[in-house]
Amino acid sequence: MKGLRKVLTPFAPDQSGASGVLYSMGALIVIIDAGGCTGNVCGFDEPRWHDTRSAVFSAGLRDMDAILGRDELLASKIKSACERIDTAFVAVVGTPVPATIGTDYKALKRLIENKIDIPVVPVISNGMKLYNEGEKEAYKALIDEFADETPAVAKDQIVLGMTPLTYGKEHIDITLDDIKNIRGAKTLIAASSSGIDACEYLGRDFEIVSPVYKDNIPEGITGKTLVCHDEVVGKTLRDAGVDCDIVTFFKLHDAVKKDGDRKITEEDEFIAMVRDGGYDTIAADICLKDLVPDYKGNWVDLKCFAISGRT
Amino acid sequence: MKHEAVFFTAEEILKRGKAGIPDELLSGKNLVYSSPATLAYNSPGAEGFGVKRAGLSVPESVMLIVAPGCCGRNTSLISSMPEYKNRFFYLEMSEPDLVTGRHLNKIPDAIKEVLAFLKDNGKKVPKVVMICITCVDALLGTDMDRVCRKAEDALTGGEYEGIKVRPCYMYALTREGRRPPMVHVRQTIYSLLEPMEKDPRSVNIIGGFAPLENTELITYLKSAGIRNIRQISTCKTFEEFLDMARANFNIVIDPEARAAAEDMNKNLNIPYIELTRVYSTDKISSQYKALASVAGIDIIDSEEKAEADEAVNKLKAAYPDLTFNIGECTNANAFELALSLVRMGFKVDEIYATLAPENFVYVKNLALLSPDTKIFCNMEPTMLYYKISSSKAQVTIGKDAKFYCPDIPNIAWNQDTRPFGYQGVRDLMNKVFEALKEAEA
Repeated sequence: MKGLRKVLTPFAPDQSGASGVLYSMGALIVIIDAGGCTGNVCGFDEPRWHDTRSAVFSAGLRDMDAILGRDELLASKIKSACERIDTAFVAVVGTPVPATIGTDYKALKRLIENKIDIPVVPVISNGMKLYNEGEKEAYKALIDEFADETPAVAKDQIVLGMTPLTYGKEHIDITLDDIKNIRGAKTLIAASSSGIDACEYLGRDFEIVSPVYKDNIPEGITGKTLVCHDEVVGKTLRDAGVDCDIVTFFKLHDAVKKDGDRKITEEDEFIAMVRDGGYDTIAADICLKDLVPDYKGNWVDLKCFAISGRT
Repeated sequence: MKHEAVFFTAEEILKRGKAGIPDELLSGKNLVYSSPATLAYNSPGAEGFGVKRAGLSVPESVMLIVAPGCCGRNTSLISSMPEYKNRFFYLEMSEPDLVTGRHLNKIPDAIKEVLAFLKDNGKKVPKVVMICITCVDALLGTDMDRVCRKAEDALTGGEYEGIKVRPCYMYALTREGRRPPMVHVRQTIYSLLEPMEKDPRSVNIIGGFAPLENTELITYLKSAGIRNIRQISTCKTFEEFLDMARANFNIVIDPEARAAAEDMNKNLNIPYIELTRVYSTDKISSQYKALASVAGIDIIDSEEKAEADEAVNKLKAAYPDLTFNIGECTNANAFELALSLVRMGFKVDEIYATLAPENFVYVKNLALLSPDTKIFCNMEPTMLYYKISSSKAQVTIGKDAKFYCPDIPNIAWNQDTRPFGYQGVRDLMNKVFEALKEAEA
C-alpha cells in the first residue's frame, strides 16, 4: 500500500530540514507547533543541539490557539522573546498544524514585523514532505530576505546543502554573512539535492559535488553498485569511477539522472531494485538492509542521518 | 539586554500569591524553550513512556501510526529497543490526505497488510492494533472511535476476526486540556477490559507502564493476603492483562490514571484508592495509614520508615550542608521533592520546573523554610542564557538539571521503573551518597 511503512521509520521531514539550515545562523527559530515537532527536531533530527545551544523554540500552540487562529498571540510571544534574546532575525517554520488551519505565512510575517524591528523569515513546511524540501524552502526564504544583489564581499566558495541531515558530523554550516554575499561568490557548490535547488534558484552556474566523497570512494565498493543516498552523493561516487545506479528516496534532478537511476518513495520499490538489479554492492545506510534480509551481496554502510538518524 | 535566565525566589512567589504566579513561570504564556524537560513533556511521543510506548504496553499489541511522517520520525529511538521490534508501523499522510481525509479510508486495508506481513514473516499475530493519530486529526475532528469500529468490522469474517482496534491520541495540542494525551491513552488501554468475576484477593496497581520494583507497597499488600497484584507491565499475555478486570480494587499511583480508574469504577465496578509519590517519610506513613484504613488491611511500616530515615541521616551526616538543584525531568514532583529535602535539613538552591497552580502549596511552604531558593521555568525562553557559574549546588537531580549543570554530580532519577514510597526515599538518598563519593574519588 502506498504510504505504508512496515520496516523503516519515517525519514527526516521538511521542518527538520528547514531548521537544520537555519540552526547556525543566529536566528530565533520558532517552530509553529504544539511541541511535538520541536521535540522531534531538537531531540532527534538536530545532532548539534546536544553540543551547542541554539534559540529553537516551540510556539507552544494549544488546540484553541489553532482553532481560533490566534496569530496575534503568537506574534506577541515572539515579540516578548525578542525583547529578551539577542537575534539577527526571526524564522518561523511550518508544521502540520499551520498546514491544516491554512496559515497565511506572508500575513504572519507582516503581523510579526509590525511588532519587532528585525526581519521575519517564514519557511513553508508541513511535516509531510521530506527534509530536502524543507532545506530548499529555507534557502529560498533566506535568499529572498537577505541576499544582496551586489555584495560588498566576494567570497571564494560557498557550499550549499551540506547539512547534518545528509552528512551527519561532516556537515558544513553556512552563516548569514554567506547568504548576504552569495550572489558574489566565485564558486557555488551544491553538495546535496537542496543545494542544487538553491543554486538553481539563484540562477548561477554551480558545481554538483559532495566534498566528502570527491575522490574518496568508501572502502568495499566493488562491481556493479546501487547507491542509495542523496543524489549528489551518488553522482560524486559515479564521477569518481564507481559503476553505479543511483536510487534516492529524496529528489533526483535531471542534472544528475542517468539511465538506471530512480527516485523512489516506497519500501517495495527499494526491495524490487535490489532483487532485480543484479548488484554486486549496495552502498546504503545499513538500516535499509532490514528491507532485503535475503540479499547476499556486498553491503557498504553509507550513513544517511535523514534515513536512519545515525551520525 | 541582560542575557540572564529569568527566575523568582520562593519568597517572591509567596508574596505574589497563587493568583499572581509570574507569566515567566507558567505554561502557555511564552514561546517554549527546547530543554530536555520540555522536549519530553511537550511531545507526547518523544521519550520515556509517551503515548506510543504507553499504547504498546498492552501485551500482544502493535501500533499503526497514521500521521504525517514528522510525527513518527523519532520513533526509531523506541523501535530500536528489542521489545518494540515489529510493533510499530506507519501510514504516512500526504498533502492530499489532509484535504480529502482519504487516509482514514485506507486504515482497514493497512491493518490487514500489516497483519499479513507479520504472519508471512513468522511473527506473532497481535490481539490488539492501536491506531495512533496526531494533531492533524485533532484539528480535522476525526471520529477515531468510528474509524476503529469500521476497521474491526473489516476484519470480521476473515482470518483476523476478533482482533481489537483502538485509538491512541497523540495530540500535543491538547496537553493542557481536559483529557491530555497521557490521560486518554490510559483510558483507552483499560477500556479493553471486560467485566469478569471478581476476586477479592486481587488488586491492580495502575498509572505506571513499567513495574514498581522493590517497593514495600507490594510487600504490604501480600502480607494482607492479596494473592494477585497486577500491573500492566507485568502481564505477559493479553489474557493476563484481561484478568485485571477481576480486581477487588485499584491503587492509582499517577493522577493521569484517575480518569481510567473512574471508568473502571463505572464500567467494571472496581473502586480505586489514589496514592501519591512523595519524598517525605511522614507523608508516606500517613498515606499507608489511609490505605490500611480504606482497604481494611493492616500495614506495619515502622521498619521501612526507619530504613528510609536512616538513609537520609547517613547522607546528612556525611554532607551536612549539601545543596541541591532539582529539575522536573525526574521521578518526582520537583517542588515536593525540594520541600522534602529542605525539611530533611538539606538546602535547595535552584529548581527548574513549570509552576502549575496546584504546586503553589509546596512553594508556599518552601518559602517559609528556604526563601532564597530560586525557581526557573524550563519552558521560558531566557533559559537559553542560564549560566551554571552562579549556582551553589553540589549535586543535581533530574535529567534537565544535568543539562543546565553539566559539571556537577547528577542523579537523573528518571528511570522507567518508578520509585515509590520509602523505597524511593531510601534509594534516592543512597544514589546521591554514591554519586558524591564517586565524585570525591
